[in-house]
Amino acid sequence: MPELGRAALVVTLGLALYAVVAGAYAARNRRRRLALSAQNALIGAFGSTLVASVVLLAALVRNDFSFVYAAAHTSRELPTGYTISAFWGGQEGSLLLWLLILTGYAALAVLLNRRSSRDLVAWVVPVLAGVAVFFSFLVVAVASPFATQVAPLDGRGLNPSLQNPYMMAHPPLLYLGYVGLTVPFAFAMGALLARRTDERWIVSTRRWTLVAWTALGVGQLLGAHWAYEEVGWGGYYAWDPVENAALMPWLAATAFLHSVMIQEKRGMLKVWNVLLVILAFGLSLFGTFLTRSGIVSSIHSFTQSSIGPWFLAFICLVVAGSLGLLFSRLPLLRTRSRLESLVSREATFLYNNLLLVALTLTILWGVAYPILHEAVYGEQRVVGQGYYNFFLRVFGLPLLLLMGIGPLVAWRRASLRGLAATFAWPFGVALAAGLVLLALGAGSSIPGLIAYTFSAFVLASIALEFVRGTRARRALAGGTWPRAFSELVGRNRRRYGGYVVHAAIVLLAIGVAGSSAYDTVREGQLARGGSLEVGDYRLTYVRLDERPAANATEVRAVLDVERGGSSVGTVEAGKNAYTAEQQVSNEVGIRSDLVTGEDLFVIAEQVNPDGTVYLRVFVKPLVNLIWLAGVVFLLGSLIALWPDAREQRRLALRYSRAGATAEP
Amino acid sequence: MIALSVAAALAVFLLYASIAGGGTPMIQPSELNGRASAVTLAGHVVTQPRGDSYGQGLRFELRDIKGGKTERVTVLYTGSVPDLFRKGRDIVVDGRLQNGVFVAERDSLITKCPSKYADHPSTSS
Amino acid sequence: MTAALVLGALLAAACVVLVALPYLREPAASDDVLEEPGELERRQLELAEERDRALAALKELEHDHRAGKISDADYRQLVGPLRREAAEALRALEPRAQAPARVRSDV
Repeated sequence: MPELGRAALVVTLGLALYAVVAGAYAARNRRRRLALSAQNALIGAFGSTLVASVVLLAALVRNDFSFVYAAAHTSRELPTGYTISAFWGGQEGSLLLWLLILTGYAALAVLLNRRSSRDLVAWVVPVLAGVAVFFSFLVVAVASPFATQVAPLDGRGLNPSLQNPYMMAHPPLLYLGYVGLTVPFAFAMGALLARRTDERWIVSTRRWTLVAWTALGVGQLLGAHWAYEEVGWGGYYAWDPVENAALMPWLAATAFLHSVMIQEKRGMLKVWNVLLVILAFGLSLFGTFLTRSGIVSSIHSFTQSSIGPWFLAFICLVVAGSLGLLFSRLPLLRTRSRLESLVSREATFLYNNLLLVALTLTILWGVAYPILHEAVYGEQRVVGQGYYNFFLRVFGLPLLLLMGIGPLVAWRRASLRGLAATFAWPFGVALAAGLVLLALGAGSSIPGLIAYTFSAFVLASIALEFVRGTRARRALAGGTWPRAFSELVGRNRRRYGGYVVHAAIVLLAIGVAGSSAYDTVREGQLARGGSLEVGDYRLTYVRLDERPAANATEVRAVLDVERGGSSVGTVEAGKNAYTAEQQVSNEVGIRSDLVTGEDLFVIAEQVNPDGTVYLRVFVKPLVNLIWLAGVVFLLGSLIALWPDAREQRRLALRYSRAGATAEP
Repeated sequence: MIALSVAAALAVFLLYASIAGGGTPMIQPSELNGRASAVTLAGHVVTQPRGDSYGQGLRFELRDIKGGKTERVTVLYTGSVPDLFRKGRDIVVDGRLQNGVFVAERDSLITKCPSKYADHPSTSS
Repeated sequence: MTAALVLGALLAAACVVLVALPYLREPAASDDVLEEPGELERRQLELAEERDRALAALKELEHDHRAGKISDADYRQLVGPLRREAAEALRALEPRAQAPARVRSDV
């Protein structure tokens, strides 16, 4: 039924266009029924996009190869789970997924806010619809997922590196994140268009930003885990432009989440917050552009790609338009409060923001540099990983330290005397940790040692926050320690959820530093019975197994592992040969030590016809903390996201009193 | 305050740029022209790779990915070979020209096109 | 082919109805004006935000003081201006109200 899919997308485009024009007209001339009608059009756009998505999904699952898209990304042998993930395995499908999530978010955002901030939503609708017009135009006219052909006998199959459970979750999560940043952007623009400079746009989008940011973060960690287990070069992040594409909006959104608190608490940084939300949305568009236009490999492939120029034009339009709007509304955004002291909570937030934005912009420069250089000099120049690693240390280590300092500094003006008292404990812990690590030989990597000392400092200050808070709560309300603790967290969800997220970032830092600054690697050719020593591990090559699997042939070298002289089991490493796709993929062997968080990581680089194998073996200390950080991160975000009834009541009271929710 | 921080960030940046230089050039085989400095070479694999990348080294020839130029260069490569590497793929490799052969740095080979999650523009429609 | 077209036409028709719904429901609305807060209401909204900000700051200061993060001396220094701000915000919001209600603070 490709015609239905195409028709549904045309309907989406029409509805989105209508919502832009009618919505803007209604908001400008204050037409109530027309504004409602535009909102309904946006909701209807979600429905018709959903229909189109179901059509595409059905074609993929039913192996209907008369769809060019199905033939290019699935095959008869492909298990059903992966035929579903083929939905976002190619360009046209991913664009459709973008549109589906966008219209879904837009419908939800309109339904949730149409009562409480009617005047704002009237302007939010045309902005959201404008973004939807762009994406629906792409899937209707430029990159249609519903192109048809005479059905071939079999499809070309899905890229084997995507045939993996992670790839079923990683791209949709990233899209949930990218697209989620559209909502805060649309509310910020809506507020500027409506000349509402109150905080409703921030209050209504706080959770959206948090959800998008969480999805981006978790999606990236899943991608890193996928790279670690499946791509098999022994790392998890390579500063690839496609990876940076997701990191940049995440960093910008992190800065936004922090600076928004300054506006809520002190009414400052209003312009800066709008700038950050524009930056985050622009970078999420840029990220989609990077992964979808082929500009990463060369300007030449970019000009040949069908959607690249459109994307570039749209990004320029969005950035120029929103900056112009912001500029025209500057007089409305003046703030009366000022930064009172450079030693205060506000100031640490400001430093945090500057560092995060600096890190984002240097990464952006690293990504754009080859493209710009090629455009100017006709020759690409690439910046190496050294560039990124340098700036990660220069900006990342101070950020880590700030996470420990921030929570302990008072708002407005902190006295130095008070600071000395609050910092005594964390400072002592950090000093002790540093000395112990130095004695253990961690001095082999100075950045690693600094990262660990800072991490100890942050963890100590977070723990101190929890202990002091719980003690105060218990003194106030009595009860048991656990009860006081859960009440403390329950009554200050955003604050303590934030601390849990901070703890996750520290775990991440510890894992990254451990696995990159203190790892060991050995390689060598092994005949059967031969062995290789890495750190305190000894691997003995026992046999070579060959076995057929669903759509591939698996070859595995089986290795006995000894540690410190005693056997700890076996590890398998080898290759899969995929029949339909005619490709070979490396399948690494990993043995995780769950107590120390250390991994033994085995790559069978080469399996020779005479039965010998060439192995590369890593010992990566603490690398499992990175994955643990993902779980803690999610937990912290959920705590911060969980609805707080008391806060909702307070906000409802504030806005009803002020008459913003006047019912007809 | 903000101006000061921007200036500081810029200073760090310039410091780095002056120490590390502006990255390595990324060129195609036809642009090699006997230049012997370290470069990143992007090209299309035109011959069946021969040899052992963990022994004497793997040998194959590259030509430009696009543009119809016919210059070829022989690459001598050792180290890890990505899953997707074979004749007909586009690759990127670091190294320098020595006596007419492009001697690649160990483990520097990356396949270009489908190596990462669908970053290639679709050619099917 | 034809089934697909029929379904497509149905979808389009359903969407047109959805879009026209506000007009179908109220063919002759007495007021078709999108209400928006007037100058006074907007001023009140800003004042309410200021009041909440001042109250939240006081609450957090109490919390930090009780938790031992802020010394007694610092607390005394900071609490005065905050109380004054909160009182001003409350007074501006409700001119007729008497002295601001005692600030409830809970940790």
